[in-house]
Amino acid sequence: MLDAFSRKAISADSSGAFIGGGELASLKSFIADGNKRLDAVNAISGNAACIVSDAVAGICCENTGLTAPNGGVYTNRKMAACLRDGEIVLRYVSYALLAGDASVLQDRCLNGLRETYAALGVPTGSASRAVAIMKAAAGALITNTNSQPKKAAVTQGDCSSLSGEAGSYFDMVISAIS
Amino acid sequence: MKSVITTVVGAADSASRFPSASDMESVQGSIQRAAARLEAAEKLASNYDGIAQRAVDAVYAQYPNGATGRQPRKCATEGKEKCKRDFVHYLRLINYCLVTGGTGPLDELAINGQKEVYKALSIDGGTYVAGFSNMRNDGCSPRDMSPQALTAYNTLLDYVINSLG
Repeated sequence: MLDAFSRKAISADSSGAFIGGGELASLKSFIADGNKRLDAVNAISGNAACIVSDAVAGICCENTGLTAPNGGVYTNRKMAACLRDGEIVLRYVSYALLAGDASVLQDRCLNGLRETYAALGVPTGSASRAVAIMKAAAGALITNTNSQPKKAAVTQGDCSSLSGEAGSYFDMVISAIS
Repeated sequence: MKSVITTVVGAADSASRFPSASDMESVQGSIQRAAARLEAAEKLASNYDGIAQRAVDAVYAQYPNGATGRQPRKCATEGKEKCKRDFVHYLRLINYCLVTGGTGPLDELAINGQKEVYKALSIDGGTYVAGFSNMRNDGCSPRDMSPQALTAYNTLLDYVINSLG
């Protein structure tokens, strides 16, 4: 598992170079925006249950076949498994966002997920759609542009790059399962 | 590769929970100290050549016969070049350690198996200690870097010296 800092060390080692000025610039901005990043992770982990249940409820509303007999989340057992998986994906995205690197998400969550879902017969279209809803919700929570009742009481700042970074991790999940 | 952030994430993952408030505090603490580490890394990246050269000179002042302790070589420059190459290698790994904030790069890329290699090549570890001790005394604040950065740099040099003991 790597973070934004050790990723630089690994890539510099492959060419035997020192990590100097230009390479350090992105790490300096990582440090400068450290509090924003922690707030962003906090926004996801604090609203995790809400993000996941909204996403799963969303795919069920958009596709009523899912809850019908033989549907993807028909029976409470499958629905519970779906909610659990949504939370696992969101958890690994929050790890990746905290570390500033996707390796934890790729190695521990996405590696082999497509094959697992294929074997279990999980409808990948609906699963990707659920991840896309989580992406939208997480993006709104990170930029604090979500609907009023859930707004965090923090100083408003520009978190668009963090929101974009989190979005890229959700996109990795979507491309890994679809 | 081990760092504060990967340790925190690893622990959270073993318990399958989201990053907690105390995890955030750990990461925040690491980030606060990171500016000094990065400063040291930056200064080291631009000055490593002189640091390594002074260390080589110090080694050969103390061990005129070179690292292997054999008779003086006909080609002493070759030994000096290899000596400097090794010091640059260690300084590069120290640079990585300063960036990552842990000793992972040194541990994984140099210290594991170090004693066995030097024993097999009949290289006296004391020569390396002489060189690193020179670097340890060479750094000066504020001439080279800020005091906090120098502390981070010296801590890693001490770590290497201790690994050779």
